[in-house]
Amino acid sequence: MTSAMSTPLPVAEATFAVLREVKDYAIYLIDPKGIVLTWNEGAQLIKGYSAEEIIGQSFSRFFTREDRAAGRPQMLLDRAAQMGRVQDETWRLRKDGSAFWADVVITAIHNPDGSLKGYVKLTRDLTERRHLDELLRQSEERLRLLIENVKDYAIYMLDLHGRVTTWSSGAEKVLGYKADEVLGQHVSMFFPREPGFHQHAERELQIASDTGRFEEAAWRVRKGGDRFWAEVVVTAIHDPDTGRLRGFSKVTRDLTLPMEMEARARNATEQAEQERERAEVAQAALNARDEFISVAAHELRTPLTALVIKMQGTAQALRGNESDPATQRFAGRVDSALKQIDRLNELVERLLDVSRIVRGRLQLMLRETDFGELAQRVIDDFAETAKAADCTVTLTAEGPLLGLWDNTRLEQVVVNLLSNAIKYGSGKPIEVRLHTQDGDVVLTVEDHGIGVAHEDLERIFTRFERAVPVRHYGGLGLGLYISRSIVEAHGGSLRVESKPNQGSRFIAELPRRPRELRA
Amino acid sequence: MNVPSDLRSSVMVVEDDYDIREAISEVLEDSGYRALCAANGRDAIELLHSGVLPGLVLLDLMMPVMDGRELFLSMLRDEKLREIPVVVLSAQPSRDQTIDGLAPKAWLKKPVHLDTLLSTVRRFCLSPSHHAVAVTPA
Repeated sequence: MTSAMSTPLPVAEATFAVLREVKDYAIYLIDPKGIVLTWNEGAQLIKGYSAEEIIGQSFSRFFTREDRAAGRPQMLLDRAAQMGRVQDETWRLRKDGSAFWADVVITAIHNPDGSLKGYVKLTRDLTERRHLDELLRQSEERLRLLIENVKDYAIYMLDLHGRVTTWSSGAEKVLGYKADEVLGQHVSMFFPREPGFHQHAERELQIASDTGRFEEAAWRVRKGGDRFWAEVVVTAIHDPDTGRLRGFSKVTRDLTLPMEMEARARNATEQAEQERERAEVAQAALNARDEFISVAAHELRTPLTALVIKMQGTAQALRGNESDPATQRFAGRVDSALKQIDRLNELVERLLDVSRIVRGRLQLMLRETDFGELAQRVIDDFAETAKAADCTVTLTAEGPLLGLWDNTRLEQVVVNLLSNAIKYGSGKPIEVRLHTQDGDVVLTVEDHGIGVAHEDLERIFTRFERAVPVRHYGGLGLGLYISRSIVEAHGGSLRVESKPNQGSRFIAELPRRPRELRA
Repeated sequence: MNVPSDLRSSVMVVEDDYDIREAISEVLEDSGYRALCAANGRDAIELLHSGVLPGLVLLDLMMPVMDGRELFLSMLRDEKLREIPVVVLSAQPSRDQTIDGLAPKAWLKKPVHLDTLLSTVRRFCLSPSHHAVAVTPA
């Protein structure tokens, strides 16, 4: 009996002895009401109470005031009684009132008849580990924030099988999916649907797990099926303790945008270069044309000068012999030839004007000029032409119209505007007006003829341009170009207001003296 | 008077273009003037230095070998030639109608009207009728 009785005792005693000396865990018994029955060294170390102090006291004193107020001690006991065992991880109090992070397991023990005998309570101090966990958690949080704030890279994790386990806002931006659309999905969903795309994805992970890392630049597909050229880096993640492969991190960058921008920039540069070349070619053609005009005009003028002198000499020689019918007939022909020479001379002079303007050699011979008189003189000269075109020309001149101008050049402007008005406004009245405005003299020549289409309003001031077909209206298409150049050389401006079939109004604003001569 | 009397109603036409030179000569001679022709400044200065002193020099500016400007300036440097009136006949316009600030008697622009040419020549050159009058008593 003794031996029979004593046999289990040493084991129990030995067990208790061992338990009493366990230092890392507080192991003690409590009765069904939570009264502490035993105490071990670990309990003393962790909680600070000696066995004498605590045995017979309620275990609720280890709980925080909040937990006690919430009835947590009894709740845990009830649950342990119910479930057999309860685990809790929470703050508990030491004797000195300081808190420690406790991992608590309460196990119910029963009498042979099944009634509740009490509980074994096992408490571990996790404060140190919790501190490390907290550090780790904070570190992970920082990493998460970091990843979350990377918007241009898709950074996410894959498990061993290539399924997405984490997602970031950068991933959402680059790949287009929300977290709930991709978590748990296989990474091959981001690959173009080409034959073998799944194997391609697997191969990527295989290489990463074999070598630690996989990199490529390749096409990927974002939500909606859009392809983009991606730079992909896959890194194998190993358990730091065991060294076993835990999964993969994947970083995907969309290179399409930088590539497109580079391409666009390259295109823009190329286009600008082509544009520049085209402009150079066009400018060279224009220069060649202007050069040709200049040479041609100068070459034409030399024989023309000889021709004028000869023909005028001939006309003079015939004078004084008007009584002779034959001489009279020749004199008539010579006069007619002289008129043609004048026209020829006029054309050559206009070409020479263009040449001068283009070379910036339009020189002004300034002298005190009365614009009113000048305009009247031109109108008088045009009396016959205007009559032939069935136009009445009226001049309204207001204010002092004296200024320092090149009267020959200004005359040229009035001649040009008036001859245009007669040419394009035949059969209708023409009004020439002169008035002053802010000290400038303003010349307006208005007709009621065919007018100028809106899109041609600026073009007509370009050399060799006209708004109407050449076969209907003659001329070189230089008049307005030269007129504007003359007015601008005087520091003024020439513009047109016009409506098709209602007529045109040309307005020249001339300062009384060129700008550089003011002050 | 160093100028020979029969040359005082002559006009030296300094012009590189043959047709213009000929046309001017024709109309001058039609009006009773004697025309002396030179195709460039050097021909003209050689003629002048040889003692052919006209009543007027009608001067083109743009010429090969020696241009009108150079001729005009070298005439002004020569006291025998300084007094001969010079009329420029040029296609070039001039803002102040001077050559290096030195003014010729007149500046005619090509193509010149015959009446203008003749009236200008008449202004500076002894008229053929005057010459005739001057010559007759002698």
